[in-house]
Amino acid sequence: MYGGRKELKTNELGLNTDKLNTNKLNRSKLNIKKITNKYMLEIILLAIVIIMTFTSRGFFTTANLLNILRNMSLQGVIAFGMTMVIIAGEIDLSIGSTVALSGVIIALTTGKLEKAGIMPMEQGVWIGILLAFISAGLFGLFNGFLLTKFKMPSFIITLAMLNVLYGLAAVLSKGFPVTTLPKWYDVFGAGQVFGVIPVPAIILLAVFAIVFVVMTYTKFGRSVYAVGGNPEAARLSGINVKFVKIVCLVVVQLCAALSGLLVSSQVMSGAFSFGRGWEMTAISSAIIGGASLSGGIGKVWGTLVGLIILGVINNSMTLLGVDEYVQYIVRGLLILIAVLINTIQTQKKD
Amino acid sequence: MSVLETRNIVKTYPGTIALNDVSVSFESGKVHALIGKNGSGKSTLVKIFSGAIEPTRGEVLIDGVRMKFSDPRDAFAKGIATVYQELSLVPGLTVAENILIGRLPMRGRFVDWKKTFAIAGELLKEMNVDIPPDEVVYNLSVWQCQMVEIVKAMSFRPKVLQLDEPTSALAQHEIQALFKMIRELKKKDVVIIYVTHRLHELWEIADTCTVLRDGRLIGTVPMQEATHKDIIKMMFGDVEIHTRPHDLKVEDEVVLEVKDLVRKDKFKNVSFQLKKGEILGIAGMLGSGRTELLKSIFGADPFDSGEIYINGQRIFSPSPVKMKKAGLAMTSEDRKREGLNQIASIKDNLCVASLDLIAKGPFIKKHKEDEFAQRQVNELNIKVSDVRDSVSSLSGGNQQKVVVGNWLNTNPKVIFFDEPSRGIDVKAKQQIFQIIWEQSRKGVSSIMVSSELEELLEVCHRILIMREGLIVGEIKPEEVKIEELYSLCMGGEKN
Repeated sequence: MYGGRKELKTNELGLNTDKLNTNKLNRSKLNIKKITNKYMLEIILLAIVIIMTFTSRGFFTTANLLNILRNMSLQGVIAFGMTMVIIAGEIDLSIGSTVALSGVIIALTTGKLEKAGIMPMEQGVWIGILLAFISAGLFGLFNGFLLTKFKMPSFIITLAMLNVLYGLAAVLSKGFPVTTLPKWYDVFGAGQVFGVIPVPAIILLAVFAIVFVVMTYTKFGRSVYAVGGNPEAARLSGINVKFVKIVCLVVVQLCAALSGLLVSSQVMSGAFSFGRGWEMTAISSAIIGGASLSGGIGKVWGTLVGLIILGVINNSMTLLGVDEYVQYIVRGLLILIAVLINTIQTQKKD
Repeated sequence: MSVLETRNIVKTYPGTIALNDVSVSFESGKVHALIGKNGSGKSTLVKIFSGAIEPTRGEVLIDGVRMKFSDPRDAFAKGIATVYQELSLVPGLTVAENILIGRLPMRGRFVDWKKTFAIAGELLKEMNVDIPPDEVVYNLSVWQCQMVEIVKAMSFRPKVLQLDEPTSALAQHEIQALFKMIRELKKKDVVIIYVTHRLHELWEIADTCTVLRDGRLIGTVPMQEATHKDIIKMMFGDVEIHTRPHDLKVEDEVVLEVKDLVRKDKFKNVSFQLKKGEILGIAGMLGSGRTELLKSIFGADPFDSGEIYINGQRIFSPSPVKMKKAGLAMTSEDRKREGLNQIASIKDNLCVASLDLIAKGPFIKKHKEDEFAQRQVNELNIKVSDVRDSVSSLSGGNQQKVVVGNWLNTNPKVIFFDEPSRGIDVKAKQQIFQIIWEQSRKGVSSIMVSSELEELLEVCHRILIMREGLIVGEIKPEEVKIEELYSLCMGGEKN
């Protein structure tokens, strides 16, 4: 007891003097270093864009940039919900299957309603969309229930749910794409505003803006950070930890349903094969954006930049004619590097 | 027969002397109790024997041979085995594997299981321990694990066996079983060092008692000749107790009342009243149930039966959320694990509990948040260069103030301080006491728990004595001496 305490004290002292010294020495260097550290992601993104502009003629054109935006929107909407979940110290691996299932539910409901003569497809699709969101919300609640009631790890719960929901989508659709959708439905995934801006991109930015405001300026956002940083401290501070975690798990599922809506709209069908592996994009955007899988750390803005970096790299590789399978390797390595940088930075702080 | 001996051991840390010129010797075949209050140096001495730390000066000898340990493994190899409070068994393995871990009998490249269980069974039998060797440790209770640890330590035929507070987590009948085993050990040629804070155990199990105070050896006495009073006197000497300021008033209004609160195996039939502006201390040793009691009242842990009233209003099934709304606050004994979000800023940590007050609707009011953080920084005199810095960059004392500040921002009526002075220096301690007194002046009541009983005498209006889950008495700080209070808490008679 005695020894331990004293050691701690010298440690603290050591740390303080250390900090003072480096402060004095590095004051001039500090500003540049601080700025590059703070805007590292943005600088990397800028560098890739500049390099690509000079290497590939087709890169910096309106058409291609809009293309990048559209391509990343479908998966991107999930990344923001995922960022909330990760900051809360949890994970959801099941979202890819929710994407598929949502598309199937929308198309199936629309078809069934018309076949039963209850409602034409034009209106029936709204019921389908509603149903897709409600079921996604229920999946989130179910995950949250298992997590908070039985203290099961979210990793395992959602890994199991990834298979359950995938199977469910396949069973419901009998293994075939369901195409009973009204003509106008393609507006979500393929529509354009002012003839140029893709609708999915606008939806992506809207989701970003909402999550950004919630996480930065609201009581709830603060609670998410507190819960992820130290759940026990948050609980003893009178924060409803279970509620916060459940809400985050519901939100990410709703994001996945939205993604399912967008993808089924773009392809004009719902199929169980949609969304496979999309949890990878959602999680890596958040991680590249600086979120820590141990919770409590992460920035919504960072996730957006991470998402754009991923989108630009994917696009660049296609433009440069990189083999599709090699692209997997590059994307995988990218995540490793991002996590490595994060880990090194946090270790330095300690 | 073997002898463990120290000659003029000195251990200094920057600013303090933990052990000052300690020369003592222990012979085998006896249980030697090592006692002293917190900070007396007994833990330091145990750590020196176990090789965890090196003495600044002086030497350790076994059978007259000078020993120098480079690390705990080295000390172990040279014949000193230590069983710590925190057990080190692997829960997923069997008792036999745990005892023989790292030296399992092999047949070729494979483990010889038959032999493993046979050897382990033999060792267990030798110590009269009735635990099957193929039982998985996960299924054992704490006292059984303790026995397995001792069997494991003894299987190396050590010259010295150190037991560091082995009974602190055990129930009465489990303690008896453990004592039986320790008495058996006396027949072996081994020096048994027994560290405890439970005074009444000494007469039951120890042959001699060595007392340390403020890093100095006060003396060693044979237990048959020692009285309770003697040992208390040796432990405390003459301590100067500071008194609290005289202007602190207790009003008649009862703000918190607890009736017959029970939590199985933790505490039973706890009843008390807390008045407005009153500072109530709960004195008790580690494991007496004091922290568990506070947590149950605060709703952080469950309880089985009993009633809690705040301002006369009964609170049903309390939770921290509910209790915060009702005006309760609690600073945890474990700052690191339960008090702070170490990766967040000082500001965030100062405003976690009071999010409702700095927000309008769902949105945080930035200027309010700054104001709340700054108010506590100023009022509690927290030394920060920037409130946006990480809270982990602060010293222990300042971190503790952040924990307190977080709760003061909720404008509580009652604050629970669980070990508020743990791990902070003397000056910071005084500042924390000032804060508690200041709250009393404002009409805020407090309950304070501390292992350092002299602190309770200094800070509180009234002190409840808690022992083995029961409130066994109530005293006024003016009426008792520190030795008496320790004696009450450790289960001696009041004389």
